[in-house]
Amino acid sequence: MILKQIRRLPTWARWASFATLGILVLTLVQELGQNETSHLTAMTTSQTALKWSIPILLAGLGGLFAERAGIINIGLEGMMILGTWFGAWGAFNYGPYSGILIGIIGGAIGGLIHAIATVGFGVDHIISGVAINILGPFAARFLSSEIFTGYQGGSVTQSPRVESVDKFTMPFLAGGYDTPNFLKWLGDKDIPILSDTGNIFRGVLTQTSWATIIALLLVPLSAWLLWRTRFGLRVRISGEDPWAGESQGVNIYRYKFIAVMISGGLAGFGGAFITIEMSSIYQEGGTTGRGFIGLAALIFGNWRPGGILAAALLFGYPYALQFGDFDGFASHALLLVNAIALFGVTIWAIRRSKHADAVIAFVLATLSAVWYFIADTVPDWWVKILPYVIVIVVLIFFAQRLRMPAANGQIYRRGQT
Amino acid sequence: MGYQPHSLHIQGEALAPAIELIGITKRFPGVLANDNVNLTVEEGEIHAVCGENGAGKSTLMKILYGMQPADEGTMNLFSERRTFQSPNEAIEAGIGMVHQHFMLANQLTVLENVILGAEPTQRGGLIDFDSASEHLEEVGKAYGLTVDPFDLVESLSVGERQRVEIIKVLFRGAKILIFDEPTAVLVPQEVEELFRNMRELKANGATIIFIDHKLEEVLEIADTITVLRQGKTVATVKPSDVSATDLAELMVGSELPKPQITDTKISEAIGIQLDNVTVLDEDERPIVDAVSLEVRQGEILGIAGVEGNGQHELVGAILGTQKISTGSIFMTGDDISNTSVRSRRENGLGYIPQDRQEEGLLLTAPLWENAALGHQTVKPFSGGWNQWFIDREGSRSQTERIRSEFDVRTPNVEVSAHALSGGNQQKLIVGREMVSEPSVLVASHPTRGIDVGAQASVWEQIRQARSQGLATLLISADLDELIGLSDRIVVMFRGRIVAQLDPSEITPRSLGAYMTGATTDEGSA
Repeated sequence: MILKQIRRLPTWARWASFATLGILVLTLVQELGQNETSHLTAMTTSQTALKWSIPILLAGLGGLFAERAGIINIGLEGMMILGTWFGAWGAFNYGPYSGILIGIIGGAIGGLIHAIATVGFGVDHIISGVAINILGPFAARFLSSEIFTGYQGGSVTQSPRVESVDKFTMPFLAGGYDTPNFLKWLGDKDIPILSDTGNIFRGVLTQTSWATIIALLLVPLSAWLLWRTRFGLRVRISGEDPWAGESQGVNIYRYKFIAVMISGGLAGFGGAFITIEMSSIYQEGGTTGRGFIGLAALIFGNWRPGGILAAALLFGYPYALQFGDFDGFASHALLLVNAIALFGVTIWAIRRSKHADAVIAFVLATLSAVWYFIADTVPDWWVKILPYVIVIVVLIFFAQRLRMPAANGQIYRRGQT
Repeated sequence: MGYQPHSLHIQGEALAPAIELIGITKRFPGVLANDNVNLTVEEGEIHAVCGENGAGKSTLMKILYGMQPADEGTMNLFSERRTFQSPNEAIEAGIGMVHQHFMLANQLTVLENVILGAEPTQRGGLIDFDSASEHLEEVGKAYGLTVDPFDLVESLSVGERQRVEIIKVLFRGAKILIFDEPTAVLVPQEVEELFRNMRELKANGATIIFIDHKLEEVLEIADTITVLRQGKTVATVKPSDVSATDLAELMVGSELPKPQITDTKISEAIGIQLDNVTVLDEDERPIVDAVSLEVRQGEILGIAGVEGNGQHELVGAILGTQKISTGSIFMTGDDISNTSVRSRRENGLGYIPQDRQEEGLLLTAPLWENAALGHQTVKPFSGGWNQWFIDREGSRSQTERIRSEFDVRTPNVEVSAHALSGGNQQKLIVGREMVSEPSVLVASHPTRGIDVGAQASVWEQIRQARSQGLATLLISADLDELIGLSDRIVVMFRGRIVAQLDPSEITPRSLGAYMTGATTDEGSA
């Protein structure tokens, strides 16, 4: 066991050093860049970034449970949409906490359909997932036309306003419960890097929704559940080699079924989070494809909870940057951050003698840098598409290094090898 | 035949047999897999069940292990009548199966694979990894099986994986162990190790059922041998009472065919020549490392090696599906290093793939389409005036020809390939390659997993082609086949050719030593 602990330590250290490096790059770009901006490391930015990461994280964790059990869940988007609708309905009628719970149930219903199709009937996972993605929005619209049109302020495309859950501010560090505010003090000192780090953490620890905290706690909880418990081992064998599991008397159908239900529930949580915590209203099309981005986070995170969290934060950050960036300088500065990151990828690719990758990364890095130096501002569509661009770029460079569960996507039938 | 089926051999009268199968019958659509089979296994013995492929051994074991129900018959376990609905019930009754195809998840650790299904847990379903690994090491020590519980299975060798499979069933407290063709994947040295383990298990009181069709092995390890043929028990004998030939005759009901070549008509002309060929894997490491070899017309060159030592990639390089990074390949004098697969095939390269169902056939397509695969651009499969169109009539009549000349047993050429037995599928593939009269044939495990009759027919086809001047590259894990058919044998180890041997001077054992890298020589033809 000690050996395992030691083997684990560098991973944490690696994550911490990645984060430090990221903050360092952001600070440097702010300090040395063409335009004066502090928005990249501002408290509001990290606060918003965290919030925007949560639906992606939840969708990613949803994908994790399904795919660890060997079921590809491309229907996450549809399940998330069910979550947005049921979350709104629940929050309007029974308050925000119940709203989240009902949103989870709504997503789990989508998961149930996917499980019945793929596990029960052996339907191709992609076909079933696409069906759910088509079914989700239509079910939501039908339900809206039946129910929300009867509410004050509701229509076929939106719900009345709903309340959010309570917020939490960390005492001492961020000054919650009338305690001293250490990070504010640190941020006001204006020491490069230290103050930037302080601001970033202050944003994360100030006025954080309990729903966010629960979602973040699901990361270690998922890791614990999947890698430390009997349930988790049996879920993983269902995704790695269900026939081996069957030969040792594990009821593979049961674990696949439960895992896909959990998957839908987590996607539903993500949907309910969008409704209750972000838009305060159900809106048709409100998920804006974040179920799919969650799937990308799952792949980028190498089918591991910690990796999914890192990917969700990475994808959530550019969303947050658009808010409050009135002069557009931060968005512009992000070009330089991109260029630096891509140069990093270039060096990484050269060292692994992946020459084609190195050339592509170098060209993209150069383009990004040139754009940064010839223009003072960037059009606002640039930041809007950036999360999706990051997803594509990341998948291009890293997808082949990743290892998904060995039997992921295969149709399993008991007694047939 | 001089053998009467032994009724029962009485050892100690008081002891009830560990397992008694009486009158087991199992039908599959169109096949009688087990026909009134009787099997009695005494406690603490190693009982071999042997027979050809398709004799019903695996079906019988699946019934015993609860994977399939029997249609008729009864099963007694220590005189108690039992029926198992699932492997779980068999496991609980103390029966464990060591599968031929390892039932292990490569991405999980040894420990995770072993405890699966019987995880020692604390409250909350939390797995107690510490006590589990202790228990695993205890079990390992007791039977002389050592393996690190925290290694990933993918990092283990084939022999180690088999050890994990054995530990797995012992961990669940199995007293009766079924070994399903355990030696099929092992080299001779690993087989000895396995037999040591099996004797150790027996000394510790375990009862072992050993499924095999390799006669020397059966005679070496078994206390009692039951022979199955075409789903029936034909005899139960003691190894001391029979010879390998006797057993073989019991298994096939007639003289066993042998791989053998007779005349030598090797010409000077070179069929295929590889010059310093290197193939790199995704991590840019050489998986085929500077291999040079040549096969003359009328010669069969055998390639021996433990699977995964570059044979598959070498075949890919010759066929054109693997990019070669250095070196060149010549076929009948022409440099084909940079030509397409199609042009190599059109110029007379025949290919029998190692996995007929994955690579060789479209299982859901009719036979005549399958017969055209790889030859779809040439007559008679495509029309003379335009190779873009398939000539359906030409294809059908060519397939009829293959069917009659190569004894493919099928009602007609319209049935889909999965309706054929493995042997007939293989005969179709061999026929498809042979009727196009190739000048070079690459045969990868041409008789793997087919019955003795089909095996003899494939061997005969290869022999005939050889006498007509075909240059054949034979890759096989069946060492008897390699030694019997080849004019020369080279051994591949870690991507290199480490030895060149004369088949008339070696035994499977000495060949095995070369394959594991235990002995090497730098080649003397």
